Amino acid sequence: MQFGTNTREFFDQTGKISNFAGRFFSSVAKPRFETAEFFNQCFLIGYKSLALIALTAFIMGLVLTMQLRPSLVEYGVQSQLPVMVGIAIVREIGPVITALIFAGKIASSIGAELGSMKVTEQIDAMDVSGTNPYKYLVTTRVIATTLMLPVLTVLGDAVSLFGAYIGVNIRSVTSFQLFFTQVFQSLSYGDLVPAVIKTFFFGFAVGIIGCYKGYFSSKGTRGVGSSANSAVVLSSVLIFVIDLLAVQITDLLGLN
Amino acid sequence: MANTEINNIKLGILVISGLAVLVFSLFLIGKNQNLFGGSFELKARFTNINGLMEGNNVWYSGIQAGTIKNIKLLNDTVIEVTIRIDKDIKSHIRSNAVASIGTEGLMGNKIINITPAKSNGKIASAGDILPVQKPVNTDDLLQTLSKTNNDIAVISGTLRETVLRISRSPALDLLDDKTIGRSLRSSLDNVNSASANARLMTRTLNELMTQAKKGKGVAGAFLSDTGMAANMKTAITNFKLASQNANRLTVHLDSLALQINYDLHKDQGIYHLLLKDTSMNRNFSLSLDNIRKGTDGFNQNMEALKHSFLFRGYFKKQAKEASKNTIKSGN
Repeated sequence: MQFGTNTREFFDQTGKISNFAGRFFSSVAKPRFETAEFFNQCFLIGYKSLALIALTAFIMGLVLTMQLRPSLVEYGVQSQLPVMVGIAIVREIGPVITALIFAGKIASSIGAELGSMKVTEQIDAMDVSGTNPYKYLVTTRVIATTLMLPVLTVLGDAVSLFGAYIGVNIRSVTSFQLFFTQVFQSLSYGDLVPAVIKTFFFGFAVGIIGCYKGYFSSKGTRGVGSSANSAVVLSSVLIFVIDLLAVQITDLLGLN
Repeated sequence: MANTEINNIKLGILVISGLAVLVFSLFLIGKNQNLFGGSFELKARFTNINGLMEGNNVWYSGIQAGTIKNIKLLNDTVIEVTIRIDKDIKSHIRSNAVASIGTEGLMGNKIINITPAKSNGKIASAGDILPVQKPVNTDDLLQTLSKTNNDIAVISGTLRETVLRISRSPALDLLDDKTIGRSLRSSLDNVNSASANARLMTRTLNELMTQAKKGKGVAGAFLSDTGMAANMKTAITNFKLASQNANRLTVHLDSLALQINYDLHKDQGIYHLLLKDTSMNRNFSLSLDNIRKGTDGFNQNMEALKHSFLFRGYFKKQAKEASKNTIKSGN
């Protein structure tokens, strides 16, 4: 019966999260808008994550280049290294790595923050005082993650390509102009646009899961910890699921 | 509030820079695909485009000149490819330039190569259909190569046999033999000296001939003197007569020899007596013995005569003259 209860729980969770997300869509267009809180969250979620994401993106670009190099050298096409790295970063590595780091940092912080507010009954207090806690806490955060992740991804891609340029130059010499031309020569809208669009969904998933796990955190300090933890795990899994869906959709649309 | 404002400014910078990068990338990609700016289209009709796709590059003499905008199947054999050409290349392409399908590098994407024709044509205008060159089909290439390969296999087989036969043949020993070279060299030396001699000979002969022509020398006389010729004639006639006499003589001799032979066999005649009769032989030796005895007696008589007083004076005188002669010849 273990399987039965797990399945039941899985669908229960899915339904609850869907309901939670639906509530976001119903409330997002309605006034009153918590603009100040939204900008504050954007600052905390976006700006504060930039350094972390730039660092990981830079390392990712550099390492990816150096790892790809031997196999390209084997086929004698190391001149195609910028093309390979450029496509890999823009299409897949950039969005997914950025989203995962973002999930690790943001989903856990949102989960812990809302969880502790839930545990200390601040959310209930907010409700009593006449402020819509969902609108104030959830909507602002979800919009912030949805909008900030694409920005971070684009910047992360740029930093990652710079890392790749340095990676290419560790073993051989390529002018920045040639590298730049090669990367953009190989790219098309079919590479860049779907990759940017899917990051909106990644950001939304991170925000909604973080908020959901925190909003419905169980009682006690353990509840806060577990909601932060499960927020990261679930949002990371969701990022991959969305990535899978995204690649299917772009394939169906003939953009691949 | 001031803190919030600074935060918002930082956020604004972040968002704007992110958007700037995005827009810049989109613009660059769009520029590469010629999505902006003036479009100028040319067309080319192929029967096989070998996997050319929309968005593939177009090169003009090796320069990136545009992209493939559209590929359309006109009927079962004709495929029309619409090529978008860059503004700055536009003014250089002539309507007789040839379009062909090629590859970027050895295994890269398909491209269309536009190659200028050797003769000048008018500058291409929008919508012109460029002449095309049939693309090299790899399958055809391989088929031809396979045929060639078979031919080469047959040829090399025959060649192998030939080489084996050559290597087995004794003619090859000649090449290894070192003495042949030496012999050849000495032969050549001989030939050389022979030819030198021949030259000398011909020169002498030549001189001789010129002299003969002029009637000098024995040969000249021989050849040019008419009196000589008459003499020769008589000499030859005499020769003839002499030889006839000789002939007759030999006939006589022959009959004589026959006669002798006959006598010898029949034990008669003088020849037989001379050559074969043994009694005759004994008589001869007896006669010779008697003669010797007679001469001995005669010698004694003569010695007795020397010592007789009648003839002694004559012999002394003779001995004196003989000794005088020897002294003279010694001086």
